[in-house]
Amino acid sequence: MKVRVLLLVSIALLIFFVSLFLGPVPINPFSLSGTEREIVLFIRLPRVIVAALMGTALGAAGAVLQGMLRNPLADPYILGLSSGATLTASAGIISGMTFMGAFTIPVLAFAGAMATGALVGLMGWRRGGLLPERLLLAGIGLGFLFSAVVMLLMSVSTNEGLRRAVMWMFGDLGMADWGLIPSGAVFIALGLVIAMLRAKALNSLILGDDLSHSLGFSPRKETVLLFTATGLLTASSVSLGGMVGFVGLIMPHIMRFFVGPDSRVLIPASAIGGGMLLVVADLIGRTVFQPTELPSGIITALLGAPYFLYLLRRRDVLGI
Amino acid sequence: MSSAYERIIELRGVSFSYSEAAFIEDLSMGAGEAAFIGLLGANGSGKSTMLKLLAGILRPQKGEANLWGKPVGSYKNKDRAKLLSYLPQVLDMNVPFRVKELARMGLYPYDTKPPLAVDDALGMVGLLDKKDSLLTNLSGGERRRAFIAMTLLQGAGILLLDEPLANLDIRYQMEIIRLLKELNRLKGITIIMALHDINLAMQFEELILVKEGRLLRIGPPDEVLTEDLLKEAFGIEIKIERHEDYRFISYGL
Repeated sequence: MKVRVLLLVSIALLIFFVSLFLGPVPINPFSLSGTEREIVLFIRLPRVIVAALMGTALGAAGAVLQGMLRNPLADPYILGLSSGATLTASAGIISGMTFMGAFTIPVLAFAGAMATGALVGLMGWRRGGLLPERLLLAGIGLGFLFSAVVMLLMSVSTNEGLRRAVMWMFGDLGMADWGLIPSGAVFIALGLVIAMLRAKALNSLILGDDLSHSLGFSPRKETVLLFTATGLLTASSVSLGGMVGFVGLIMPHIMRFFVGPDSRVLIPASAIGGGMLLVVADLIGRTVFQPTELPSGIITALLGAPYFLYLLRRRDVLGI
Repeated sequence: MSSAYERIIELRGVSFSYSEAAFIEDLSMGAGEAAFIGLLGANGSGKSTMLKLLAGILRPQKGEANLWGKPVGSYKNKDRAKLLSYLPQVLDMNVPFRVKELARMGLYPYDTKPPLAVDDALGMVGLLDKKDSLLTNLSGGERRRAFIAMTLLQGAGILLLDEPLANLDIRYQMEIIRLLKELNRLKGITIIMALHDINLAMQFEELILVKEGRLLRIGPPDEVLTEDLLKEAFGIEIKIERHEDYRFISYGL
């Protein structure tokens, strides 16, 4: 197990460095010119860090949500949390809110993710329990609605700068710069710490609420804590680079094969894997289709949506 | 119930309802140390609700649920988990864990080195050779035993089981009963187990017969499994015939 985690970390670091020096113009890391240094430090490095952080957040959030909801199809994007966070964040950008400085947008995104989660939970609740199908449909439906409202806000807003800012909400990492990173990183760290501290409780919740209680946890309290963690993670990812789907869906599945289902290992592994996936998706987005740049959200959707449909087909095997 | 021994787990004057209509009213029952009790009743008779009240999962609206003389709700979650474990009727068949991973979760309430080794617990339930198997690849009976191994590691002296024999072949039913009896006898674990099968009820020292949220009778099988009481509990004609050590039950239509 330790070897596997170490292997994972090494691959992640390798991908990170490779993607710094690959791009529209490949850069030789051993003979940097002045301009190349500038490009690496001020354009590529923040962009790769943002992609890594976002993927980390989404991978971890997916692992928590899938366990908490006992549903292999759960993911912050499919459950509408990302769209809810994007809506409140864009509303904040458009109305020029700055009440908390650099933390304004992440905090707004967090509020949006939590409110959407509560709404989806209410809509999925029937006779004392969450019905997986209702939950997913409620999330997908609200996601559509909120995305439409974001587009509406975007088209009625006249200021070009704001339009660009909202475009960025759709997973275009071209705008990444150093200013975004600290507040996003704080949210991710908080979310990860909560999730890791409650990882045993998450394992017990996978067995069901009654068994979780029997094993000495309070399922209601744990669900609230874990949900708060996913809210923080989703919010950080959205405020760093907008809505990127399916990373949280795919990564926990891959990592369950690789490190097993124990949340104490699965959460960090999915986080690392998610970071890798998004860095690679962004690298593909900015190199393969030159001179056009594809938002990484499109790449992850092209990979993730078919996988989602595949899971839906064999959901009797996975048992939702 | 006899007052010759102290009840370590009990409901005292408990009322509970899911909706407006009272479901359980002024119910008192319980178990002493090392008891082996079957909670018998038809579907919907309130067996599951009673077990959940005993386990502290549901809170009584009136009366109290006590564990070792104190309200079960007054314990810290982890402390309660060391005294009492509960296995629900529906065990999710799709949990992604391996047998040993599941069993190890029984150690969650403990911060220090476990009193019982994982392999020993798996040996007791006869799953040592399957400890690396995925739960999804086990038979229904094996899956039950894996969960029982988890409760063994949990180390609780009281085990509440909701219909652990449901949907099992008779062979696996007998296997589980034998295992539980052994744990009861060798480790002194108090067991209260809900069931609806009258034939299997004969395996218990003591039975609690319930109907619509109230007690019909508490006592040994000889006193409880009578034609009149069973007719009342299950709503059909039942005939019991004795032949040496065996009893035969036939159901009228």
